[in-house]
Amino acid sequence: MTDKEYYLLPFDFTEISGKEVLVNELGDMIISPKGTVQKIVDRSLLKDDLYKSLIANFFISEQIIPPLAEIYAERLREKKRFLESWTGLHIFVLTLRCNQNCVYCQASSQNEESNGCTMSKETMAKSVELMFRSPSDSITMEFQGGEPSLVPDLIEYGIELAEEKNKEAGKEIHYVLCTNSIHLTDRMLGICKKYGVVISTSLDGPAFLHNSNRGKKDSYEKVVAGIEKGRKAVGHEKVSALMTTSVDGLNYPIEIVDEYVKLGFHAMFLRALNPYGLATHNDNWSEYTDRFIDFYKKAFEHILELNKQGIYFVEEFAAIVLRKMLTPYCTGFVDLQSPAGVINSVLIYNYDGGVYCSDESRMLAEFNDYTFRLGSVDDKYEDLVFGKKAKEVANVWANEALAGCSDCALKQYCGADPVRNYSTQGDMYGNRATSLLCRKNKAIIEYLISLIIERHDEVMPIFRSWVS
Amino acid sequence: MTLTIDRRIYNDSIISKAIYWLAGDYIIVRSLLDDNTELLSVTANNANIAEETVKTQLMQILNDFKLRQIVADETRDIKTILYAKAFAEDEELSEEDIND
Repeated sequence: MTDKEYYLLPFDFTEISGKEVLVNELGDMIISPKGTVQKIVDRSLLKDDLYKSLIANFFISEQIIPPLAEIYAERLREKKRFLESWTGLHIFVLTLRCNQNCVYCQASSQNEESNGCTMSKETMAKSVELMFRSPSDSITMEFQGGEPSLVPDLIEYGIELAEEKNKEAGKEIHYVLCTNSIHLTDRMLGICKKYGVVISTSLDGPAFLHNSNRGKKDSYEKVVAGIEKGRKAVGHEKVSALMTTSVDGLNYPIEIVDEYVKLGFHAMFLRALNPYGLATHNDNWSEYTDRFIDFYKKAFEHILELNKQGIYFVEEFAAIVLRKMLTPYCTGFVDLQSPAGVINSVLIYNYDGGVYCSDESRMLAEFNDYTFRLGSVDDKYEDLVFGKKAKEVANVWANEALAGCSDCALKQYCGADPVRNYSTQGDMYGNRATSLLCRKNKAIIEYLISLIIERHDEVMPIFRSWVS
Repeated sequence: MTLTIDRRIYNDSIISKAIYWLAGDYIIVRSLLDDNTELLSVTANNANIAEETVKTQLMQILNDFKLRQIVADETRDIKTILYAKAFAEDEELSEEDIND
């Protein structure tokens, strides 16, 4: 075969499970024998099935511009479609007051009786105004804390303002209450039922683990009762739960998954600790990261086993990665986006009137670090999202342009996180070679690909059911 | 340990990228011996890593980045065209825009 009989299209590659895994700009993946990339660049490929597959999947082209370039461009657009819809998630941090005492609290929550850490009605009104300035046709108003259910009047006030504004704006609007479910009063649930508020609660696993994490003896019983009460009020599928893997929790992957199944959930997000708030006191993040990866794999194997037994149960982080890998579509998950989800997909309105570019940004602010404070609710929308601070973050929010990420074959499935880089490595740009987030994400994505390579027929029906 | 690299085979960009990824595990000092020869002095953070392992890892990553460089060089123009088609407003680019 002569040189230039075909032309290369942009792609990257890595080695997983003894194979060369090629990934193009569209996130399409080809699993090939080792040495394939060398053959591609040497023009020594045989015109076999692999060659046809490389042509069909936009890795090489027999014309200098691929005949289906328009389709390629449309698919590229689709992968970045989340940018077109602008900021969809608007998080309202209503109060730092909380009725729990979690060992890993990332939100710097304060005592239930604390003063001066709850959003005023004036701040709520200005925040709602800003939320409606987002060009997005679909917006989510998410209430966080502390424990937001401690201030039901404020939640109702915010929702009523939003409903009133929306009579003119005509947006699709969703409401989410992030609650520990300890204080789900009839009044609170009445508001949820009236406005279709989805309840997102947190449960760390079996009673002994959950109670230990929460620093309370009866937290588990109250959360489970709250989940049941919430389901009766708003419907079974409108109550979801999120776990955080404490250091102690790393020892119980099977038990944690089984707890979610026992309580009738069909999905869970195996979530690592974030290095914010009280969680920063964790002694050894490197060791934690390695142990979390091991925890993740054990829990995931158990989830696969459940699915093989006919129990439909999704691991959400994997489902997001697999959606990027196996479908032409992008996802709305702010932590795995490039450009990053900060500002593009999420804005935070803090109890004190500060506007931040991510949930983690406002957590840093509780430690007097205002690096990611975009401004206040008194500022103009344009000054917040196109301001100096936003531009500073924008310089480092695309993994296509970051050292380490730009040459990574897995970048299409991962995302940029300037806030995490800053909080763990001291600068927004970050260093991938020493980044624990990079280590974790790579390990999990490589693990998922290794399953596809080594146990294709076993795992693919399950994976497809998760992304369809 | 030290390793001599021929910069006619592995250019500065390739060596820099390879070293970037090894920075978590090794301290690598670069020095130019002449226009075409670079000396890498490598110290592993973990003293238990065998010299052969370090060499194998370094050569593997250099070769991978060399391949990536070839792909990047050959696809720079088409990548620009495809991204422009996808995201630029009213951008009409064609075969003539590629400097073949």
